Amino acid sequence: MIALEHLTVRYVGRKQPALADLSLTLHPGETALLLGPSGCGKSTLALTLNGLIPHSQDVATFAGRVTVNGCDTRVTPPSSLAQQVGVVFQDPEAQCVMWDVASEVAFGPENLCLPPDEIRRRVGEALAAVGMAGWEGASAWQLSGGQKQRVALASLLALRPRVLVFDEPTAHLDPQGVREVFAAIAALKRRGDHTLLLIEHRLDELMPLVDRVIVLGARGELVAEGAPDAVFNAHFDDLRALGVWLPQVTLLGARLGLRPLPVTLEQAEAALRAYVGPAFHPAGNGHRPDFRATNGPAAIEARALSYRYGAREALRGVSFAAPEGSLWAVVGSNGAGKSTLARLLAGLLPLQGGALTIRGRDARRLNARDWSRAVGLVFQNPEHQFVAATVRDELRLSARAAGLDARQSERRVDELLERFGLARHANANPFTLSHGEKRRLSVATLLITDQPILLFDEPTFGQDQQNAQAIQALLASLRDEGRTVGVITHDMALAARAQHIVVMHQGRVLAQGAPESIFADADVLRRAQLALPPIGELGLRLGLRPLPLTVEAFAELAQTPAYA
Amino acid sequence: MLERRNPLSKIVAVTPLMAAAALAGDVYLPLALTGLALLTLLVGGVAPKRILSALVPLALVALGFLALYPLIVRRELVMHTPAVARIGDLVIYAGALRLGLVAMARVLALVSLSLIFSLTTQVDDFVRALVQQARVPYRAGYAALAALRFAPLLRDELAQIRAAHRVRGLARSGVMGELAQAHRALVPLLASAIRRAERAALAMDGRAFGAYPQRTYLRRVTLDWADVGLALLLWAAAAAILLALWALGWLGPLSFVQRV
Repeated sequence: MIALEHLTVRYVGRKQPALADLSLTLHPGETALLLGPSGCGKSTLALTLNGLIPHSQDVATFAGRVTVNGCDTRVTPPSSLAQQVGVVFQDPEAQCVMWDVASEVAFGPENLCLPPDEIRRRVGEALAAVGMAGWEGASAWQLSGGQKQRVALASLLALRPRVLVFDEPTAHLDPQGVREVFAAIAALKRRGDHTLLLIEHRLDELMPLVDRVIVLGARGELVAEGAPDAVFNAHFDDLRALGVWLPQVTLLGARLGLRPLPVTLEQAEAALRAYVGPAFHPAGNGHRPDFRATNGPAAIEARALSYRYGAREALRGVSFAAPEGSLWAVVGSNGAGKSTLARLLAGLLPLQGGALTIRGRDARRLNARDWSRAVGLVFQNPEHQFVAATVRDELRLSARAAGLDARQSERRVDELLERFGLARHANANPFTLSHGEKRRLSVATLLITDQPILLFDEPTFGQDQQNAQAIQALLASLRDEGRTVGVITHDMALAARAQHIVVMHQGRVLAQGAPESIFADADVLRRAQLALPPIGELGLRLGLRPLPLTVEAFAELAQTPAYA
Repeated sequence: MLERRNPLSKIVAVTPLMAAAALAGDVYLPLALTGLALLTLLVGGVAPKRILSALVPLALVALGFLALYPLIVRRELVMHTPAVARIGDLVIYAGALRLGLVAMARVLALVSLSLIFSLTTQVDDFVRALVQQARVPYRAGYAALAALRFAPLLRDELAQIRAAHRVRGLARSGVMGELAQAHRALVPLLASAIRRAERAALAMDGRAFGAYPQRTYLRRVTLDWADVGLALLLWAAAAAILLALWALGWLGPLSFVQRV
């Protein structure tokens, strides 16, 4: 059992504590879900449970106490805590420290000075528990993201902790990786030997496993806790205002005025069948919610694009057209060729085979300057783009690169600071901004040039619900201003909002078209290792056509006369 | 076969041979040692393709030595030897060519011999051997190992950062432009390297790293008779080569400084 008593943690150099007077208990064998807006101290909480705070990470304040099975973490050695509480972190790269799978899993038991036979037994057991038996000899470099996370889990299981904490374990993974990690967590839950604390934002898949929900507020204080149904029903409005992730089906339920709010897919399915009764059935009446027409002229047209890095073929005969003024998405598993495609479209890689037309002009005839004025690319990690000491200088630099004179430049910079809510941070160092602010600044630096085509690499990556929604709204507003907006994403909920989806698989275009048709094609989803967004899954179970993929689309469909 | 040998024993076995190659005063010894190294690699189970891909670029460098040496060698060292060619004021002496050949042969031998270690040793096995047999503190060894794992990740990240700057139109050509770009990439790269290191340290501490002064090992790097045998065999072969060349009068003086 783990108990937090009046725990307050403040980092060095911060005025506000990361956790404020938090008291909590984790009961043996339960599965708890920890929710909270980004920056509210969820990861800090995870680190206090296995004693890394205060043992490995210096903090300015550590008040109150954490006890693990009655032992105060401040006086218990970290090696002993490591055998009671294990934490799986977000970044699969940063937590694999060895060069092959067996050594990775053996690392912990070796540190405990266990005899080699015992280590070998534990390595075998731990890998079997995460479905990776037989991978002992594999090199860490040849694993996919999902496999790396499962090895990370196995390397903790080898220490035989009773408590496992998962801190956003799927945030860096493609849909296939997410499935693998969730399957491993579900298997642990079925075995019932462990207490699980989950910090995760893909709630629909996890809710069936969760016994209890714990919600932290923006200042790291306890806002609500209890059974999922109770918490989501009693605190729905507070939770929305807080900006925490909620199950999509719960959001849908609220939108449709269902009471009680459904929390799992099963509950939503049952509630919706009861909600409209037998009338709610596949109609196929040809009604389509208002999807923008996508048959205008193409902003980008690729014909048989191919690209190879040395001997490795990254793209093979990729052809597609991105409609002018549309929001379009490129999806596919890691290694499918998405990033190569984005770099080719942005002019960062030289064209090899095939033809590329950008707004009617042959890309081979574009010089670098014209190209960068036509297409902007926002990278996944906003920090990579920052070079200046202040937010304002960051924008000025872009203005100069775009060839604006001093007066125009200042006006444009002020405009963008205002539009992106960065005016009060104008003199701050870009690296000190929050996740959401960094993302906004990286978009603002590109908008100075005002390119008609903007590409985003994983724009919603690592954002909380509020930020992710803000980004979705931003993408939509950029589109509504007439720009062509392309997103490369693993976020199926984001892809579902596009007008046009290009599905990549092993360097080829596997399918393309409107989201409703792509996501309705089970074969494409399986082959490209994609996932149906939760609302789509619900629509599928209810037999709805066209398949609704977002809460809004579903609500609209459910309220059309043909159904209701 | 060579891959299973103890990394430290490979170093011990090869070092005297490399010393001999470095001291060789004539071309025969280094060429013979090159032959011995290649034979060892082939018998040791290294694919010829891997040997070639490591050796060919270096052989080109060695050829470069041969071409350049006659031009840069100090004249008073070789003036007493016959001139073989004159290009305007430039005189190419036979002695200079010979020195060039020796330098090339030394480089070839040194590189081929070092391949016996580098082509057949995983970095992690090397660190394990250092920790398990050379008594390097395990905390230092494993911290270094974790850090080495980052190298390719940071290289990828640097490429991304540079692309991110290029897409903002910040790239300038020329040497100064390159310098400015490298400077700009430094802050984001450092920020991310520090963050990675912190995360890796937490992940290691979270698995009881440093719990005790000692630790055990799933895989011990072994040191057995085959390792000793490898060293003895290589030394014996090198000794035989030395003796044979000496008997034939082809050995030349053994000295780091070359004379004709």
